[in-house]
Order: sequence, then C-alpha cells, then structure tokens
Amino acid sequence: MSEPTAPSEPAASTEPAASSDPVASPEPAVSPEPAAPQPDSSRTGPGRVLVAIYALFALAASARAGVQIATKFDNAPVAYLLSASAGAVYILATVTLGVGSPLARRIAVLSCSVELVGVLAVGTWSLADPATFPDATVWSGYGSGYGFVPLVLPVLGLLWLRRLSKRA
Amino acid sequence: MNGVVPTTVIVAGLVLAGYAGLTTARNQRMQVPLLIAVGVLEVLVLVLVGLVVAKIADGGRPAGGLATLIGYLIATPVVPVAAGFWGLLERTRWGPAVIAVAGLVVAVLIVRLHQIWPVIHV
Repeated sequence: MSEPTAPSEPAASTEPAASSDPVASPEPAVSPEPAAPQPDSSRTGPGRVLVAIYALFALAASARAGVQIATKFDNAPVAYLLSASAGAVYILATVTLGVGSPLARRIAVLSCSVELVGVLAVGTWSLADPATFPDATVWSGYGSGYGFVPLVLPVLGLLWLRRLSKRA
Repeated sequence: MNGVVPTTVIVAGLVLAGYAGLTTARNQRMQVPLLIAVGVLEVLVLVLVGLVVAKIADGGRPAGGLATLIGYLIATPVVPVAAGFWGLLERTRWGPAVIAVAGLVVAVLIVRLHQIWPVIHV
C-alpha cells in the first residue's frame, strides 16, 4: 500500500492542501456548512462513529477485564488476560483513530489488524477448547456475546483507514 | 418481567436512536431538540440507576456479581452525556450518528443490566 504522506512528516502540518482541494470533499454539496475542514482525516466525518464505538469497546473490555482480574482471577486466567489485552488494543485503536495524524493512522492500521487476528484466533480457540474459557471474553465465539460487533469493527476500521490513505 | 421504568428507558434509547439516525440520513447536524432528547434519556437512566442503588442500599445483592452491576450503573449514565458532548463538538451529520449509536447502546446496557439483576419491577 503506497501512502504519499511520509511517516516522518510532522503531525502539525499534515494536510495543508485539504481545504483547497474540492475533490477531497466526501460529502455531496448538499450540506451548506463550512464544516469538515479535514475531510481526509479520521478526526471528523463517519470515522467519528467508529471512534465512538471503539471508545465504548475500550471501556467495556477494560472494565470487564478489570473486574474479572480483581475478583476471580483464578477462575479463568487465560480468558481474563485476553480480555485485558483486548481492552488495551481497543484503547490504542480509539486514541490513534481519534488523533488521525499519519503516524497515528499507521498505528491504527496495526491495532485494527491485531484486533482482527485476535478476534479470529480467540474465537476459534474458544470454540476448539472451551475448557480454557469457563468465562467469556470479548472475543469468545468471534464476539457473539457482543452481537459480533468485535468481529465487524476491525474490518470497518481497516476499510475506513484504507479509504483515508487512498484519498490523502 | 421488567418493570415500567426499565422498559421506558429501553424504548427511549431506541426512539432516540431512530430520531438521531433520521437526522443523519437527512444530512443535518445536531440541533437543540435532539440535545433535549439526549437529556431526557439521561434523566430516565438516572432514575433507573437511583432505583437500583436504593435496592443495593436495602441490602439486595445481584447474583451476577456486585462489581459488574456497579460497572453498569456507572457506565450507562456516562453514555448519553458523552454522546451529547460529541454532538456539540462534531458539527456534521456524524454527530447525530454517534448519538444514534449511544441510544442503541443504552438500550442494550439496560437489557444486560436486567440480565444481571432483574430487580426493578416498578
């Protein structure tokens, strides 16, 4: 994947041409608002919804892992540690998607990929070896306890990041 | 069986999600009526949290674990507040989209809350 913006470029001067580039606007000219100053950033627009859902899952996974590790760690240490690491990955993805600089976007691609691998691996593992998972994690059964959102989220995140890097 | 209060909160969350989703579909940013709707949901959530806290104060303990329940009692009221601020800051159609997600999330959280401890029958 070729990205025109070098990762070493300082974050402050990310998209100087964005506001003067009419092609970059994601909205049809319906909206009369002068909003969306950085259309090719994850800091505004539909990416914000992703960030919100990520923030929610960061909270849900970390809080769940915190409670489980604090109260009954010996029941299912593997499941709880996986929950905790899932929470950490969600926090990383939330922050990097929210920041939206080129470097942050690269980290976001990485954390979304880790998530996707994680939900697939842990999902498969939890079905193949239920004894290791007497208590569920966010990623158990491919996220079935959370309406499969954990499975869909990294895919949407990666698609969104890919769209951004194509447009940039 | 759920009581009237939790049912009302769940329905209010879904209605808010529909209203906010419609706002996004019509390509409008968040306006005052939507913010008021978020506030109404927040008040309803706080009423429910107050009722559950009263049950805990009476000595009731949920089978699903007190720590988890308290987590839900803290997290649920935060969701509409966060969504309201998000709508204020994100002055595009995607502000209401975040609020739509928040409405759905509140509904789901209340359903889960009652799976942990189905105690509110009013």
